[in-house]
Amino acid sequence: MSMSIPENKKVSPFLVFFIINTMQFGIGVLGFQRIIAKYAGYDGWISVIITGIGIHILLWMMYKMLKIVDGDIVSIHSFVFGKTIGKILSAFFIIYFCLLTVMVLRTYIEIVQVWMFPTLETFWFALVFLAVVVYANFGGFRTITGIAFFSIVLPSYILAIFLFTIPYSEFDNMLPIFEHSIKDILTASKNMSLTVIGFETLLVFYPFIKEPEKSKKWGHLAILYTTFLCLYLTVLTFAYFPEKQLQLNIWPTLTMWKIIAMPFVERFEYIGIANWCLVILPNACISLWCASHIAKRLFSFTVRKTVPILALLCLIGTSLLFTRTQINFLSDLVSNVGFYLTFGYIPLLFISTLIAKKVKKK
Amino acid sequence: MKSPLLKKNQKMQELVKILKKSNDFKHVQYMNEQTEEHFSLMFMSTMVEEKIIHESILPFLLEGNFHRLEDVKKIVPLEEIEFSEDPLEIEKKLFNGFVVLLLEKEKNNYCFLGAHKEVGRTIGVPEVEFSVIGPKESFVESIEQNLNLVRKRIPVKDLIIEEQTIGKYSKTKVAILYLENMANTENVNTVRQRLQEIEFDQITDSSYIIQIISDNQNSPFPQLLDTERPDRVSSSIIEGKVAIIVDGSPHVLIGPTTLVEFFSSFEDYFLNWLISSFFRLIRFFAVMFSILVTPVYVATLSYHYELIPRDLLNALVASRMAIPFPPILEALFLELTIELLREAGARLPTKVGQTIGIVGGIVIGTASVEAGLTSNVLLIIIALAALASFTTPVYRIGNTIRLLRFPFLFFAELWGFLGIVLSFCILLIHLSRLTSLGRPYLEPLYPPRRVDFKDALIRLSFKHQTKRPLFLNSKKPERISAKKAKEKKDIDE
Repeated sequence: MSMSIPENKKVSPFLVFFIINTMQFGIGVLGFQRIIAKYAGYDGWISVIITGIGIHILLWMMYKMLKIVDGDIVSIHSFVFGKTIGKILSAFFIIYFCLLTVMVLRTYIEIVQVWMFPTLETFWFALVFLAVVVYANFGGFRTITGIAFFSIVLPSYILAIFLFTIPYSEFDNMLPIFEHSIKDILTASKNMSLTVIGFETLLVFYPFIKEPEKSKKWGHLAILYTTFLCLYLTVLTFAYFPEKQLQLNIWPTLTMWKIIAMPFVERFEYIGIANWCLVILPNACISLWCASHIAKRLFSFTVRKTVPILALLCLIGTSLLFTRTQINFLSDLVSNVGFYLTFGYIPLLFISTLIAKKVKKK
Repeated sequence: MKSPLLKKNQKMQELVKILKKSNDFKHVQYMNEQTEEHFSLMFMSTMVEEKIIHESILPFLLEGNFHRLEDVKKIVPLEEIEFSEDPLEIEKKLFNGFVVLLLEKEKNNYCFLGAHKEVGRTIGVPEVEFSVIGPKESFVESIEQNLNLVRKRIPVKDLIIEEQTIGKYSKTKVAILYLENMANTENVNTVRQRLQEIEFDQITDSSYIIQIISDNQNSPFPQLLDTERPDRVSSSIIEGKVAIIVDGSPHVLIGPTTLVEFFSSFEDYFLNWLISSFFRLIRFFAVMFSILVTPVYVATLSYHYELIPRDLLNALVASRMAIPFPPILEALFLELTIELLREAGARLPTKVGQTIGIVGGIVIGTASVEAGLTSNVLLIIIALAALASFTTPVYRIGNTIRLLRFPFLFFAELWGFLGIVLSFCILLIHLSRLTSLGRPYLEPLYPPRRVDFKDALIRLSFKHQTKRPLFLNSKKPERISAKKAKEKKDIDE
């Protein structure tokens, strides 16, 4: 079932760093601090590290599986479960990646509506945004990787901007450490999954990497970097907000921007939120790319057809979500599915792949 | 059945019949005084130099020992003497400035004597890409002279010049230039193949070629570099690029190219690397400024005035107090005025154009502020943006930037900053998708290649220019031996 990708459509191994990092660093980063603090209090930073370690292990498993079958998730599924069951399981991934796209886009629109434009029409913005995503998808995987690259490099100045909050911070907030039980900390880790999921896209784009063995290093570096960024944000947020006040802010990252003032700019969050459009663009592009690519593999449609069709479905999905509760429901759903998919299903699949390999050898 | 000879004769007569309709066609009969051979000359008086006929051809034909057509080579002191039996050649040669010699005895053999007339301007100073330092030669319309300008800068046997003729009616000579042991074969083949595939009735200028062979013809971005500087062309060829010279065009095309090259002036290489790097950075800043500043103004004043600190806002509001229009109309009004001035300035003769520019700029600007149609802050912004867009060293990319501002303005009015970022995303995607002769257009930014940054946003010193640009995939990637460049003695040694 393995497919051959022309060499000039593949990307260099080190670009995997940007793809994985950009997928993880998206909409979740704007509000994960509150969620981990809810369960683990200001010991939440430990949860961030634990999640990071967990993902490293998962990434290692994924590379191992992909190496065994030398293909993508569809190949793994058909390798382990046979063609029919494998196809059904792969089809779930299409839905998952579409849901991820809708969630990212709708949450972003909500943020824009709350912070910048209360009157922004969900449908029209989603239409333009998804049209842009389709345009990027038509450029192929290399174009999408390009967007991933720029979405990391160009907005990186924002990271430095967070340092503006330090004069107003109280790092003692985090003391004493280990106030919470291991269970609390692990629950926080679980609930952080929405922020850090996205690395599972590797299961789809693996065949598009030149010399995939070499990309391992970069994949792990990407995860290390994401963990570091989350830790950086967590520490700054915990220092900036008292614990109780943090619970009142749905998007603490955005609230932190409000303190920033420069001679020519006040209310930096306007620039920040607008900039986040570039940050979430590759998330939507890559998710939709993965969904359409699996669809192509399963139903032998061309990507030229699957991308617009799936984008249209996403557009409908996005426009149908109106209230905060609905959006929250979707993000909870995606984060739960994402959690069980990555931390539950991938290890299972890993073990089954190993068994299948042994059985087939005999 | 007719004999081939008869057929040939018939063809010849048909040709002469058509040619005789033109007044500049001459067909004159002569007789040699010594051998009494009868012969005739055919030529287009507009294409040949009559001096050559009178001084270097006729005296020898009339007085020399002339029996057979082959004797011409011995008696006429011209370099370009060709023979052919094909009557179709006659037409081609006549219009290329040859004199056709026919001997009464040898009806089916023709002799062509080169007597080209050189009409054209002499080599002048580059006007579009002027530089204070460096060579002052620029290309002209004649392909021979242009080839000479390049050839004399690269006097090696590896410089290959391949000529072909394109255009059903214009029969334009197009030459591909490259260094055989340097240029990537794939690039050369791409250029050659795309040129061969051109089917068009006329190639008036190299701009036609740019538009026809570009990878994406629907992009406002130029995908081949055009220059009027022979030094830039020869240096690009030595880098491993391919140049296309088109007869009748003073602009030579260079490919493959990247976006950053459009922002590097060739003068950058004549200045110290620190200074030229500084100028390059200024240029990039100017371009971003020129594209973004008006949209940011519109976005801020339409939606995000909270963004501006109070003191600055006071100044802005005070300047806009009496203005009856929303920011977008105000901005469009001024942008259009600038575009009008630019367009008028470009179409008018130089001297009138300058006057119009100054009068128009100052008078209209001041008057519109005084009349309360636009704010003086916006006037400053737009004038600066226009000025910034002129800093691009390549004229073509300047036009692109001129156009780009309007979609940004539209989205800024629609969704404020969000719109600006969104249009920026579209621009990024578009640029990542573009290729120049199949090579990525955004390189070295994306795909990121650290080595090529030595000559992109900044230009490092020649000591660091040890490699040819990676995206060219040159056969000889090493420019100078890196070891030698790095050798350094200790202090006081």
